[in-house]
This record gives sequence, structure tokens and C-alpha cells, in this order.
Amino acid sequence: MTTLQPDHPFAALLAEFVAESAPLAEAVVERALSLERSWNRGEEDEETHAPLKGLLHTVKGNSAMMGLAPLQSLAHTLEDLALLLSREPGVRVAGGPLLVRGASLLADLVRGAATSPLPAEALRIQIEEIRAFLEGNPGAQEELRTERRQADQRQSDRRHSRQTVEISSDGAVSTIRVDSARLDQLLDSFGEAMIAHAGLRDALRPIIGRRRAGGEATQVEHALLGLERTLKRLEGALMETRLLPISTLFSRFTRQVRELARGESREVRLEVAGGDTRLDKTIIDRLGEPLVHLLTNAIIHGIEPPEERTRLGKPAEAVIALRAVQRSDRVLITVTDDGRGLDPERILVKARALGVAPTAERPSRAEIFALAFLPGLSTAERVSSLSGRGVGLDVVAGSIRALGGQVAVTSEPGRGTTFTLRMPLTVAVLRALLVQVNGERYALPLADVAETLRADDRAIHQVARQGMMTWRGQVIPVVDGGEALGGDPVADRPYCVVIRSASRHRGLLVDAVLGHYEVVVKALDPTLGRPPAVAAATILGDGRVACILDPGRIGERPADAAKDAAGAA
Amino acid sequence: MPTDDILEFADQLGASAPTAVEPEERQLHLVVFSLDREQFAVPIELVREVVRVTDITRVPHAPEHIRGVMNLRGRILPVLDLRTRLGLEATELTPRSRVVVVEIERRVVGLLVDAVAQVTRVGERLVTSPPDEVRAAGQGAITGVARAGERLLMLLDAARLLRNQADNPTSPSGVLC
Repeated sequence: MTTLQPDHPFAALLAEFVAESAPLAEAVVERALSLERSWNRGEEDEETHAPLKGLLHTVKGNSAMMGLAPLQSLAHTLEDLALLLSREPGVRVAGGPLLVRGASLLADLVRGAATSPLPAEALRIQIEEIRAFLEGNPGAQEELRTERRQADQRQSDRRHSRQTVEISSDGAVSTIRVDSARLDQLLDSFGEAMIAHAGLRDALRPIIGRRRAGGEATQVEHALLGLERTLKRLEGALMETRLLPISTLFSRFTRQVRELARGESREVRLEVAGGDTRLDKTIIDRLGEPLVHLLTNAIIHGIEPPEERTRLGKPAEAVIALRAVQRSDRVLITVTDDGRGLDPERILVKARALGVAPTAERPSRAEIFALAFLPGLSTAERVSSLSGRGVGLDVVAGSIRALGGQVAVTSEPGRGTTFTLRMPLTVAVLRALLVQVNGERYALPLADVAETLRADDRAIHQVARQGMMTWRGQVIPVVDGGEALGGDPVADRPYCVVIRSASRHRGLLVDAVLGHYEVVVKALDPTLGRPPAVAAATILGDGRVACILDPGRIGERPADAAKDAAGAA
Repeated sequence: MPTDDILEFADQLGASAPTAVEPEERQLHLVVFSLDREQFAVPIELVREVVRVTDITRVPHAPEHIRGVMNLRGRILPVLDLRTRLGLEATELTPRSRVVVVEIERRVVGLLVDAVAQVTRVGERLVTSPPDEVRAAGQGAITGVARAGERLLMLLDAARLLRNQADNPTSPSGVLC
């Protein structure tokens, strides 16, 4: 095995090569898959063919520029293969799978170019297999050479023109590339400015409070408001620079779905829409895992084997639709399959066994489906060959909530299931309610807070050591903030925060409610072991750190989570 | 690596006294701090800085021995209570308490100690492996004992201090990724 990385003379450029070429290589795979499908049905697909050749050529050119000869040579043989297949309809069915395999390998190698060792042997075998196929069809060889020369010429023309595209008419550079680590630093500095502003505002509050006293206080207040407005604009501009099209994430799923479906003996087509919807880079980076879990669950648990589908009068090939769309300051992402759907009865039986079923006699379907995200309700029932261990929906919901999003599911038994993820455009700044419990301050995402009330407004009843209260006509459980957060319970805390939840609301008793703040979200270090109730942290105006809670998981202990994980194995 | 800052800091303490060593012998460059009545040390290469203790925020359900998190110039720094980690009573904060900020396996973590004593050099020859009792008391994190004049320094394996602190069973296994 040779490693590309250490002895590569342009190691620093490799990351850039990967960033630019990986999406292209993924697009090659997508097009190869679509061609293979058309050919198997005996259809022509010229529209897909031309861009495929262009993409391959660009990947080849980029690899050559980086001196990655093995990649260049794989892209080159694939280009020949694509050309041959476009010329010779007779060999398409035989050559299609070869094209897909080669393209998949190319995508893997491009993505891993900066980090993984090169699997030289696999590469050699793949190239030889393609060459053998090409030599078996010598008729097209001469034509191939001519066409490739023309393509090389076009490529070099394009390279020259690319330099000028980024220069606008007045000669100024209108586009620059920025390392994303720089953007993160910028965001950190912005966060510090926000903290300083909050500190200033808190420190000046007594002065502004005496505003009637004179003009100086008004001046201070105006200056502070001006600063606040500027920070808001800066925030908007900064967030704008962090937005990326979600296609950067979606593009790799086509192949993953295909491979997983094949391993599970399912026939599945992934349809993607709304790839140009833009989201914060951080969200895109961390959305991959939960989405893969949802796609995996759809294939393993949702979609029936082809024979069963035919028997049910469904097309043998199932469709999973992955869509993104922006709705004001949220992005909705849906994963829809046309499989067997969720069985509300089974969920209810399981929920009753676990003692988490809704109290209502006849819970609505929506209430039942909301239960699917509770720990222990959706643990995968068997191990799949490709995905390894299945993952419960509670884990998916946890990752979505950690990003400030929400997830819901609807299902029509026999017809399919739709998961809807509502994501914020950005995770960097969060509107939060600051509360105090046992001397520590905690931030609760405002979106999860239904109401704040004086605890003595409502009588809290103790039923079997569980607090209960009536809130808007419902009986909801009440937990002590200290106890739920691993500290000491205290009787008679004066405030109750009602936490919104899809399945049921809960009351959280706290010592003080300190008000609404915009807080800058900072990730927790893995050394802290990802405690379930803590989503992230923030730095407050006085420079102290406060934990940002995941309200849905307050009261959970790491041990509970470990038990659930063990149950899923 | 702000080694100079640490040396300066140690100079302020007026305690930097290198032990006599043979000139050609390999030397360990150590940051020495005290816990309870004993002195411990980590290699200076791992130490990014030594800071005063500011407010430490408790993290609900964090792993054992994690005292909490503190704000280190806008960065959220996890702080490990070295005393409980080594089986001693939890640290009582005093004006001499310090956080030794170390970087181990690309993670930056603060070690809460009673006081930082000095920066010193010790010849490798003076380091012996710890007696079994010491090894057991340190839960595997004490990897050597160095004789520095009259004193004994327990050498800590910082990476081992952090082990069992990170792996979390709730993290979803990477399906397909």
C-alpha cells in the first residue's frame, strides 16, 4: 500500500483538491447509476451521458494537476469506457455495472486522497478489468483517441477562462476562497463581541434604569442600542458566509442507498430534490449521520423485499425521496419511503410495556408516532450486514435536537413513512431562557419553552414520588431541576418552566428565571463524555460558562443511555 | 508552545532549581505541581500554559473526576480534578490553586492542582518505575518516580489520566459513514 499523503509534495493543496473534486466524483457515480438503470430498461440516455464525460474529464484533469497518477489513470480508463458505451449500444448492459463500480472506486479514492492510503491492488485490478473490456471491443479505439484529444483541448480552454471568471468588469476580484477554519475563528470572535456586549449591557443597567435622571443615561442607552443593531447586522452577514447548498451532503447518499439496498436485497431508488437549499456548514457537517440512520432504517425496516412489493401491487423498485426546502428561517428536510409504514398498535404496545404510553384512553396517531423517538421504542431488531448495528430513533432525535432542530414522523400503514426534520438555518446563535438551579445557570432553548410560571400558582401533587401538576387542562409531570441535573433536590423552588415536547410537556422547577438572551453556541469537548441533558455550552456576559440544556433529555443519565444502547445491540 | 511563559512563571515562584545531572545524559523537562502533600509532574512538552482558576461551571452528568468547564479566553475548557482522579479528596480551591492546561492527543484539557511548584529538569537515570502500591493508588496514571534532590516526583501519564473519560456509549455508531 502506498500512502498519498506524507510524501506528496503539495500536501496542503490536497485538501483543496478533495473539496473540489469529491462532489464531482460523486456526481459521476450518480450519473453512472442513472445510465445503468436506463440501459437495463433498454432506454437511451444521451442527456446524462454528455455531462458524465465532462465530469470524468475534470476529475482526471484535477488529479493530473495534483500529480495523482493512479487517480488520473482510473479516470482516464473510465472516460474511455463511458465513450465506448455511448457509441456501442450492444455492450451497454454488460458495461454498465463496470462503469458504476469504477466510478464508485474513483469517488472513494478522491474523497480519501488527503487522508487514506491508496488501495493500489484494488485500483490496478479495476483498471485492468476496464481495459480488458475495452480491448474486447476494438472497433471504437481510434474514435476514442480523437474524441479525447478534443476533450483535452476543451479542458485547457476552460482552465484559462476560469482565471478570468472571478475578475469582474472593473478588474476587482469578486470571489475569494476562504478556509472554513477562518470562518470558525471569525465566528468565535463575533461570539466574544456578543459576550462583551451582554456584559456591557448588564453593567450599564443601573445607569439606564435611572434614565429620567438626565441626558447621559439616554446617550448610553442609544449607544448600546446602536451597538446591538450593528452586531445583529454582523451576525446576519457572518451567517450568510457559512451557508452551503445541502447538495454537498445529499450527493453522497445515492450510492450509499444503492449499496445498502443491494446488501439487503431490496430494490431502491433515491430521489433527491431541493439540493440547492442552503444551510449552515456546521449543520450540514453534522446532519450526515442522522440522515444516514433514517435512510438505513427506511431500507432495513420500511421497504419490503421486491417479491412482497409485487404481491402487494407496488412497483418492485421502491422510492426513497429526500427533499429539502426553506420555510422562512427554517429548513425542512423530509425522508419519505413507500414501504410498509409504522404500525401504531405495535408502538403503543411497546410503549405500554415500557410505561411511557400517553395517559389518554385513545391517543391520536400523531401522539403514538411521537413515542417512536423515545429511548427503547425503536431499537433495531436485527443486525444488518452493511450498516452494522442499527440505531434507535431516539439517537437520531438527539442529534437533531443538539443542532437546534426538531424531528417528527408521519406514516400510513402499508403506504410508507415520512420523517420531517425542521432545522434552523444556523446553529451559531440561539435564543435562550436563562434559569438558575442550585447556584448554577443553565440556558434552555426558547423554542422548547412553552411557559414560565410561579410554582406556587399551581399546586404540585406528589404521586408515587413523581410530581404532577395541571397545566392548561392537562396533567403533566414536574421534575426538580436540581435532581434532574444530577444535583440535590430542593423543596419549594419558586418557578416552573413548562417544557414543550412532541409527546408530552413537562414542568422543570428552578430557583430563578433570569431572562431571555441570545447566546453563542459552543460545542462541548468530547472529554466531557456527551452527557445526555447537555447539548452545548455558552459563555455569558460575566465570562462564566453556562450549559445549554437539551430539554427533551433533562433527567436522563448517561447510564440510562448506555442501557438503551446495549438494548439496541 | 509558551514554554517561556511557564519558565517565567516558575521564576516568579523563585523555585526553579535544576537537579545536577551528567552533561551527556538525556533530561526530562518537567512541570511540577503539588497535590495534597505530594509532588507530581508532567512533561513540559504537553503543557500549553498554567492559569489561575476562574469560575468552574459544573456539567450535569459529566464523567467522574470532571470538575466542570471554565472559560479560557472564549474557549470552553474541560477541567479534570486531579485529586479525585488520583484517589484523593476533592480539591478545595485556594488562592494557590492552578489549572495546568495540557494538550494530549489533540485535546486540550485543564488539570486542577493545589499549586504549581516549579519547572525542573531531571536526568532520566533518576527515574525509576513506581512501586506497585503507588501504581495502584494512581490508577495506572503514575508511570515513574523521579528523585529530585530530597524530593520524590511522581511522573504522570497525562494521556492515561484522560482515558475512560471520553468514550461514551450513547454516541451513535457510524452506520455506513
